[in-house]
Order: sequence, then C-alpha cells, then structure tokens
Amino acid sequence: MNAPAIAVTGLTVSFGNFVALSDLTFAAQYGTVHGLIGPNGAGKTTLLDVLTGKARTRRGQVQLDGHTDLSRMPEVRRTLAGIGRKFQRPSVFEALTVADNLDLALRQHKRSLLRDVVAGRPGKAARIAQTLATVGLAERRDDLAGVLSHGQKQWLEIGMVLIQDPKVLLLDEPVAGMSDEETAQTAALVKSLRGPGRSIVVVEHDMDFVELVADTVTVLHEGRTLFEGSMADARADRRVIEVYIGR
Amino acid sequence: MTRVFDRLTTVITLLLIVLLAALPLFGLSGALPIYLVNLAGQVMCFALLAMAVDLMWGGAGVLSLGHGLFFALGGYIAAMHLLRTAFAATGVLPDFMQFMGQNRFPAWWAFADTGVATLAAVLLAPAALAFVIGYVSFRSRVSGVYFAIITQALTYTAMLLMFRNDTGFGGNNGMTGFHDIAGLPAGGTAAAVLLAALSTAAVLVCLLAGRALLATRFGRLLTAIRDDEPRLRFLGYETLWLKLAAWCLSAMVAAAAGALYVPQVGIINPSLLDPALSLEVAVWVAVGGRGGLCGAILGATLISLLRSLLAASAPLVWPFILSLLVLAVVLGLPNGLLDIRNRSRQWLLDLAPRPPGRLPARRT
Repeated sequence: MNAPAIAVTGLTVSFGNFVALSDLTFAAQYGTVHGLIGPNGAGKTTLLDVLTGKARTRRGQVQLDGHTDLSRMPEVRRTLAGIGRKFQRPSVFEALTVADNLDLALRQHKRSLLRDVVAGRPGKAARIAQTLATVGLAERRDDLAGVLSHGQKQWLEIGMVLIQDPKVLLLDEPVAGMSDEETAQTAALVKSLRGPGRSIVVVEHDMDFVELVADTVTVLHEGRTLFEGSMADARADRRVIEVYIGR
Repeated sequence: MTRVFDRLTTVITLLLIVLLAALPLFGLSGALPIYLVNLAGQVMCFALLAMAVDLMWGGAGVLSLGHGLFFALGGYIAAMHLLRTAFAATGVLPDFMQFMGQNRFPAWWAFADTGVATLAAVLLAPAALAFVIGYVSFRSRVSGVYFAIITQALTYTAMLLMFRNDTGFGGNNGMTGFHDIAGLPAGGTAAAVLLAALSTAAVLVCLLAGRALLATRFGRLLTAIRDDEPRLRFLGYETLWLKLAAWCLSAMVAAAAGALYVPQVGIINPSLLDPALSLEVAVWVAVGGRGGLCGAILGATLISLLRSLLAASAPLVWPFILSLLVLAVVLGLPNGLLDIRNRSRQWLLDLAPRPPGRLPARRT
C-alpha cells in the first residue's frame, strides 16, 4: 500500500490554555481530494497551519510521504519539499501583474535563492501560460492582480501554488465569497487538479462544494476527528448532525 | 511593475544632466555664486539619502527612521580622511585631539590615508553595520513600526555615543578643520563645484541604477514583500535574505550621501545623528511620494530648498510649516506629490460640467 501524502499522528496544538488540536490523527492520500469540515474553532485552519509550519506543535508527528518528518522543518523548506497552500484571505501581490505573480511563484532553482533571483530558465513562459489557462486567467495576464475580482484573485492564488507543482495542495476556503457560478467553476478546477502525484486538502464551509469535489471528508470537532468517510455518510451521521449540520 | 523610464523619470534625468553641466560651467566662471553651488550640492546629498530610504520604504515596505545613522557613519569616515590629509599637509593635529591631550593620531586611523581605502570603508562599514541590525531584526520577524522604532533608537544611541569626547571623534564639537579636498583647497570654488557635481552625478547614477534594479526580478520580489510578505515566504522564498540585501544596499547609498555631504559643510558633529533628521528624511519621502525613487528626489529637493529659504527669514515657523505639509499630504495626497499625477485627471473631470443624467467617467 502506498504511504499517505500527509500523515499526522497524535498531534496536539494549544495556544495558551486553549487546545486547538488534541491528539489528532489524520491522513491524506495521493490521488484524492480530502475535505476538511467542522464548525468554527474545530481546528481546521490550525491543522493547515501545522502542516505549513505556521503553528508549532506541542506533541505529535507530521510526516510527508511516510518518511519525511515535517515537524522540525522551517516553513520555507516545507514549501520547497512540496507543500503548497492557498490562504483563506486571497493573498496575491496586488502591485504586480497576473503573469508576474505566477513568475515569482515559480521557483526554479530550489537550492539557491541567489540563482533564482538572477537567472531564468527556459520553459518558464510555457509553464506560466499553461497555469494561466488552467485557472482561466489567460486574458488577464497583463493586468495588475489588484484589479481582479475577488474570485479571480482566489484563482490566481491557486495558480501561484499550482505552478510549483506541489505534492500536497492545501486550499483554505477556496470558494468563500464567490458567486454560485464562480463556485461551480472552482469545483471543476479543483476536480481537474486531482492526480496520482498530488493530494488535495480542502477546508471549506460550503457543504455542497465539499460534496462536489471531495472523495473523503473528515469532520473535526473541538480539535478531534468526529467522523471520516464520504460526504453522503457524513450528512447522515447522527453525531455530525448534532454538532454541526443540525444547528 | 516599474519601468526604468517613465515620463517623470525622464524629466528628472534631464534636469539632473542640466544641473551637472551647469555647475562647472557657471560655477567655475563665477556666474553662479559659490553658496548656490554649495546649496545645490547639499540638496543633492539629501536627495541621495531620501532615495536610500525610499528603496526600502517604497520598494519593500520597510520604513527606517534611522538612516541618519548610516549617513553620519559615511560622513565620519570621510571626515577622518580629510583630517589625515590636513595633517599630512600642515603637520598640525586636529583641535579636538590637542584638546584631549593626544600628541598623535590613533594608529588605526592610518587606513584613512588613501582615498581608495576611505571609499571602501565608507561603503563597507555601513553595509556591515546594516547587516547586523537587519539580520537580527528581520530574522526575528520584527517589522513595521517596531522596526522603525529600533532604527530610531539605534540612531539615538549612536548620537549619545558620539557626544562623548572619550569616543574619540570630537564629541559635541565634532570634527572640522579640513585643509584640502582631492588636492583643491577646502572651502574654495573649485572644491565646491567638484563636490556638488559629484553629488549630482551620484543622484543621477542612483536614480537610473535603482530604477533598473526595481525593474528586475529582485525588484519585483521586493514589491511582493511589500504587498504580502507571508505569501512570498509560503511560496518558498526566505525573505530574510531579500530584505537584508536591499537594506545593506540602502545603507551604502545613505553612507555615500553622508560622505559627500560632510566635505561640503566642512564639519561633522553628532547633530547628524539627531533622530529629528532621520524623521525628516521620512517626511521628504512621504511628501514626494513613495516608490520609484523620483518622489524621494522631489520631496528632498523641494523641502530642503524651502527650509534653507526660510531658515534665514523665518526660522521659528519652520516646524509648523513642516507639520502642515505632513498633514496636507496625509489628508489629501496619501502617496505624496506623485498622487497629483494620478489624481489630477479625476479632479479635472470632477470640475468639468456634467451632462445631466450621466455619471462622470471614473478612472481606475
């Protein structure tokens, strides 16, 4: 059996007296889209913070590919190791063009920052064009990112993470604030990104969106796993209804 | 994205070239009084200092309120060189050393005998100092107003240090008594013209090289740091090194400005380390407009000219004028004079009579 892309075991994270994650075990497999849902404060974003190195763990293990220990790795190294994250708030470089945003996102010389700054490498333009087409922004390539609509900024940021070809793609609320039409387009985009060398984790409040894209969902509640399985089963699960959907 | 030559840059470049040609042409013949030559040279040094601040503030969004530290460091090193050459020519020790009962220069001052070594020290010592300050601060993710306070506190500390006579650089009175500048008698017309022309050339080179740098991938990475540093870090860039490179470069430009400034005023004392000067540099950049270096030149030039104009006639009202200027900019032109360019069209449209029932065209 293949090792999971991300394996979290016995993870505990606390901020002061507040326990955000408590003894959590979680795995995300290659080739799947994994939905992560739960009420506010359940620990969804904290889990992403732990994976990207933004939050420190108190106890527990975080492994990439079953062998690379992430918990001691600085955040920049994790990105280079293949963990890409789209933030909850759309984070793009507003004073740069769409194409430049993608150009900066594409680090070609991962070993040397200096070479990355001074030297280019052939094939870059093609990668940028391909990514622009994937996220549907080909016509906006020379516009400043600051003038894009909210939804387009979300897509651009997905593109910026995608162009790095990450093993693990973490999407924190990719459709928050989007119109129904944009949400449908985003669902199609996320589904098209699924591939054997990639594991996608989606944190989202929009249940219908999660049902559309996710192969598996994990319901978090108060820092623990409440349920894991398909979205249809989650909707039927009594405990899930109690803490979350029923309210 | 920054283009190297936009319209404003072209205009400023041409003006600088005209000034550069006019200084020797009219300065040496006496058509331009020496105090005006001197004033032009000093204003150019301030413009250089303002560009150093703008490279960090407009470029990477990092505000320094302590660039006087690097400016003064460059100035002190230049003054050491001038005192050594004065001693070589006259054989008389500087006043402050006699006053302290010394009968010779400390041995380590010998490096300042040659112009090349002095130039190297003017650029490398501030870069090394900036590296230490920047590494410690940026590595601990100190940013924004906290970083600005640190830079200001360090400048103040340096001022207190230099006020002491025991520190060995003339204390309160500073260092003065320069004899000659590159072989030309200090205070003479030829030296004044040379220094003013050098300062103007430095502004010109820095403007063009700086804008070229901002248009590279490095410049775009600085913009990305300004817009959203965590996003850039989570794209796999260790922003520490990018900020540190820009910070050291900025310190070197400020030090070069100081080294050109001190021979023109003929003295250096700890007043250059007064936090008020460093604050005023930030005001120049804010009034002129951040980013792209042109605003820094405009702001520094206009405000320091205005000040020297008023210094004679109305010295007491100057702080009030400066404060009003800051208020006007904050309220009316958030990005300084550069905003006039961006907004003037809108103002004209707002003033123009409108056909009924139609909204005015809004520029985005």
